[in-house]
Amino acid sequence: MKSGVYFCNCGTNISDRIDSNRVRESLAASGRIAYFKTCPFLCSEEGKSFLEQDLRDEQPDRIVIAACSPREHEATFMRVMGQAGMNPYLMQMVNIREQIAWVTEDPEKAAKKAALALKAALKRVELHEMLEKQELEASPAVLVIGAGPAGLKAALTLAEAGRKVTVVEKTPVIGGLPVLYEELFPNMECGPCMLEPLMGEILHGEHAANIELLTMAEVSEVVGYFGNFVVKVRQRPRYVDTHQCIGCGECLDPCPVSAPNPFNCGMDEKKAIGFTFMGALPSAPYLDPGLCTRFTQGSDCTACGAACPMGEGVIVYDDVEKLIERQVGAIILATGSSLYDCSGFENLGYGRLADVRTALEFERMLASNGPTAGEIVTSGGEAPASVAIVHCVGSLDDDHQPYCSGVCCQYAFKFNHLLESKLPEAEIRHLYKEIVSPGKEEYALHRAARNNPNASFIRYRDIADIAVVNEEGRQMMRFRNGNAINADLVVLCPAVVPNADAERLGAQLDVPLDRFGFFEELHGRMDSARSKMRGVYLAGACQAPTDIQRATGQGMAASGYVLSELALGRKIELDPLFASVYPERCAGCKVCMKVCPYRAIGFDAENGVAVVNAVLCHGCGTCVAACPVGAVKSNHFTNEMILVEIEGVLK
Amino acid sequence: MNAHAERLNVDPDSSIVAQFEPRIIGFLCNWCSYAGADKAGAAQTPYPPNVNIVRIMCTGRIDPEFILKAFAGGADGVIVLACHPGDCHYKEGNLRAAQRHAMLARILEQMGIVRERCRFDYVSAGEGEKYVQVITEMVETVTNLGPLSIPR
Repeated sequence: MKSGVYFCNCGTNISDRIDSNRVRESLAASGRIAYFKTCPFLCSEEGKSFLEQDLRDEQPDRIVIAACSPREHEATFMRVMGQAGMNPYLMQMVNIREQIAWVTEDPEKAAKKAALALKAALKRVELHEMLEKQELEASPAVLVIGAGPAGLKAALTLAEAGRKVTVVEKTPVIGGLPVLYEELFPNMECGPCMLEPLMGEILHGEHAANIELLTMAEVSEVVGYFGNFVVKVRQRPRYVDTHQCIGCGECLDPCPVSAPNPFNCGMDEKKAIGFTFMGALPSAPYLDPGLCTRFTQGSDCTACGAACPMGEGVIVYDDVEKLIERQVGAIILATGSSLYDCSGFENLGYGRLADVRTALEFERMLASNGPTAGEIVTSGGEAPASVAIVHCVGSLDDDHQPYCSGVCCQYAFKFNHLLESKLPEAEIRHLYKEIVSPGKEEYALHRAARNNPNASFIRYRDIADIAVVNEEGRQMMRFRNGNAINADLVVLCPAVVPNADAERLGAQLDVPLDRFGFFEELHGRMDSARSKMRGVYLAGACQAPTDIQRATGQGMAASGYVLSELALGRKIELDPLFASVYPERCAGCKVCMKVCPYRAIGFDAENGVAVVNAVLCHGCGTCVAACPVGAVKSNHFTNEMILVEIEGVLK
Repeated sequence: MNAHAERLNVDPDSSIVAQFEPRIIGFLCNWCSYAGADKAGAAQTPYPPNVNIVRIMCTGRIDPEFILKAFAGGADGVIVLACHPGDCHYKEGNLRAAQRHAMLARILEQMGIVRERCRFDYVSAGEGEKYVQVITEMVETVTNLGPLSIPR
């Protein structure tokens, strides 16, 4: 076997400390090398040309490059090897710059250490195999879970790029949480109006044909991996044909059933058939089988169907659940967030006192399509003379959620602005732990609240220091020090928390959750739109508490990843550093399957052996170390290679 | 008087002690500790040259056999440096490595190899200074313990 060594002087960075002649002599004595060449700068254009030409001339079987860290230039030299027609995996790099020359004072010891490392590398490289990158066909279609701002933005971006997108939304309506908000921070824009152009494009735009929208649907099963996921979606019956329905709403009034309306947080009533709200998209009502007497009592009521001006067949009483299967290459999770349950704070009285509301309920009260048509009233039907807005409920609290939820200050100051215009006489009190308003537009509402003569600010340390009480027929807020303030209406700003179904979805997709229960990103700052599972991307509040701006930005980021990693007309390239099982050695104990962090190992029941899926394998080698019979091999880091390297540096 | 000199019952300044250069194998994961070592290099802080590095992609790859073979092959010490808990490039390989290491350390002690000769620690890509500190400590510890004498 012909092995050659390339020794980079790195200017004087290496040669100042390590005498290449001494290393050469030491290696020559071992009789393992055919040649030893030095180069002033192997990574320079000149150096790379030299390497390429020299590899062509020398035609070595293996090479060792002694230079900087492989983290710096291994890929560079592998590319040159490829250009020279040599398999790039037949090389071992020895880090004699960062880990020897720069840190070893004694040149004698430095040269000795370098020679030892090179000898070990020469033994190791003899065992290297000609690995090849593999290619795999992939589906360019994408599944987006969640039709809030993040999911919709991602879906539209991908559709515009020509991709087929399936959007799965569990509610009957698209738009996510902002459709509940009549006015949004920081500019008092109306939520549904702001989303309308985006939703219009999704439903009827130029690229709408690329988007399949499945409302009232949830993912029930996911199998496969990046490039080739098979997804099963369970779609609940809507009992209304969305293609024929024009959304006139004639069917609502005749319905004999009324029940609390969840859209308005149960503050008003809805019919068994109805829109989530007037103007909800897609523009078709849905029938709630939990309310309709046909389902609850077995009646033969057809009041809604009879009222439909479009004729029979638009209301479909025998509609059934559908199981829809789609093949996609990538999945974007955009399932959003919810609010922390405030009923656990006994002292705040939420759920017990009618005039303690969450921010979400207050949003609905402020909305003209809400239960009070936009009027701010207490349970007694009067305008409150004093409103207390409690920030940081459950946030910044080690007993609840230790993080800052980020959006609450903004909407609390929006409430201040709206209260100022709707109830100019009302006293407003902000109770807070911390106030944050970073960003180029975000301070305006905060400043306005500070300048509001009716508003005052009270800082509290612990939520337990506040108690909402009813004294002499009036709602008050009492503090630990005994002081009290009037609080006819209390608005709680709860922590933003993961959605209840994050855990189930995470388990289905093998996407880990972080310690708070949000989907864990690949990297908090560099890769927040990518999950730790290849081919699954994250957008919006399912990854962390977020505002609309960041959610839509992440939707775009996630679609950017899909477009670059799952490019049309390009196969998925597999790095050859994956693990594989020698079936003849495998005893079928499944230990490797348990330790794999990526669910990359399956079981071939017929032959009783484990099988590694190279697409999912990240090449960490944990399974290799766990296998009790040495039946798993990790390419380029085999037991033999590592052992020979250990032995090499000890000799 | 250091422990090694004490055991050999010689003057610590005598040549037999001064000459002992321990041979230590360091297993570094590609993403954190190896990068930490590179960071230490970029800072050009000198440290003892006695640790020879074997790079692996993840400390989860470390088969206890590697460590046993290192001791059998003449190493006086072994050091495994992983990503900090929660930082593993492969989610949890570092935690697997920590578990395996804890078990191995007990077996090594039964074989007469004291715990201090087989260290497990965490070094991130940014912790160049910690890398220098950990390596220096390890070399000192093993120098003080003296050459490992086991039937090889």
